[in-house]
Amino acid sequence: MGKLTLYGFDPSPPVRPVKLALAALQVPYDFIEVNVIKREQLSEEYLKKNPQHTVPMLEDGEACIWDSHAIMAYLVSKYGKDDSLYPKDPLQRAIVDQRLYFESGVVYADAIRRTNTYVFTTKVLPKERLEAIVEVYNLMESFLMKHDYIAGDHLTIADFSLISSISSLVAYVEIDSSKWKKLSAWIKRMEKLPYYSENAIGAEQFIALVKNTNFTVEA
Amino acid sequence: MGKITLYGVDASPPVRACKLTLAALGLPYDFVVVNLMEREHLSEAYLKKNPQHTVPMLEDDGACIWDSHAIICYLVSKYAKDDSLYPKDLLKRAVVDQRLYFESGVVFANALRSVTAGLIRGIKVVPKERIQAIVEVYEFLETFLKDNDYIAGDHLTIADFSVVSTVSSLPVIVEIDAAKYVKLTAWIKRLEKLPYYSENSVGVQQFFGLIKNLGMTVEA
Repeated sequence: MGKLTLYGFDPSPPVRPVKLALAALQVPYDFIEVNVIKREQLSEEYLKKNPQHTVPMLEDGEACIWDSHAIMAYLVSKYGKDDSLYPKDPLQRAIVDQRLYFESGVVYADAIRRTNTYVFTTKVLPKERLEAIVEVYNLMESFLMKHDYIAGDHLTIADFSLISSISSLVAYVEIDSSKWKKLSAWIKRMEKLPYYSENAIGAEQFIALVKNTNFTVEA
Repeated sequence: MGKITLYGVDASPPVRACKLTLAALGLPYDFVVVNLMEREHLSEAYLKKNPQHTVPMLEDDGACIWDSHAIICYLVSKYAKDDSLYPKDLLKRAVVDQRLYFESGVVFANALRSVTAGLIRGIKVVPKERIQAIVEVYEFLETFLKDNDYIAGDHLTIADFSVVSTVSSLPVIVEIDAAKYVKLTAWIKRLEKLPYYSENSVGVQQFFGLIKNLGMTVEA
């Protein structure tokens, strides 16, 4: 096995699912911090490895892989003892994939990244941003209607991807457990994972960064 | 093989990514129009199949699958004669996957849907930061194509179908400067030569018409 190095920043939501996956797979790795607040991802050295200049990025030997979802799929396929975290059956995989793409587009790109941009620059958040987050919670609740995990009856990398985002979005909109019963129960279920600290620590850091902006919501 | 049904509208870029893939695989299917303007995606019947109420959605022998990227990965895995459109080699697949997630987040959600969602809510003037989000897409794609003829390497994959469906739609908002984005322009021309490219081009024209009808203008 070549040397695995994960480049990232704990507060960053997409980095934490990869840490959860690595812990679940019990694969050893080095962690190199790339402080995106200090814009370290724009260094010439980093750009050579990842021209999209995002975190996380995984180096496996000489190969550089990025995008958290692509990284996790790669890790399970290469290092998993079995395929339970990312089923090989095309139909089962399609459900996990849909949840991962949901996270990538609706949750991360829209609900998180666009909201962060307002909060960390103008510090005034349009109301429509909070509605986008509520919509995420509503969709999560519907996905969890009949199952204990986000893509079915057992844990998959889709749970890792989404717990990181959801545990970060609470910085903006709290999750009322009477309104989102299934979502709240799923969060508690995920918090019981023995390696959950791989997400919890960074999530707290993210929430603190958000609160420190003292942002206001547009009336 | 059970019956394949694709639900969607031609104007929608993710629907066109599925149509390109189905054509590349030579798979027969039924197409059921889901008129978004008439809110047909919010019908009780559709919500039962797809609680996220998006298009495209694929029904394969009773199973309902949605999200264009998940659909096209599924189609290749289940029906393709070989893995060239979605390589099984882990590193090659990781590159295709990264391009697919790039399309999902940076291209579709951030560059395109942010504009169309605004238009539908009555925000007719596209703000500068939305223009910048589109320019950012063109810049990244030019970089990804620096050493490759196709978006994920040296041959056609489903990542090309996914990215071209949206990137061919964005010029109605921000034109692609052919002098500035040489590789990007060449790549689009390369894909336009695909014998089944009409599966995308017909819908692009419909998308352009829709955007113009919604009265879009760009912040000066």
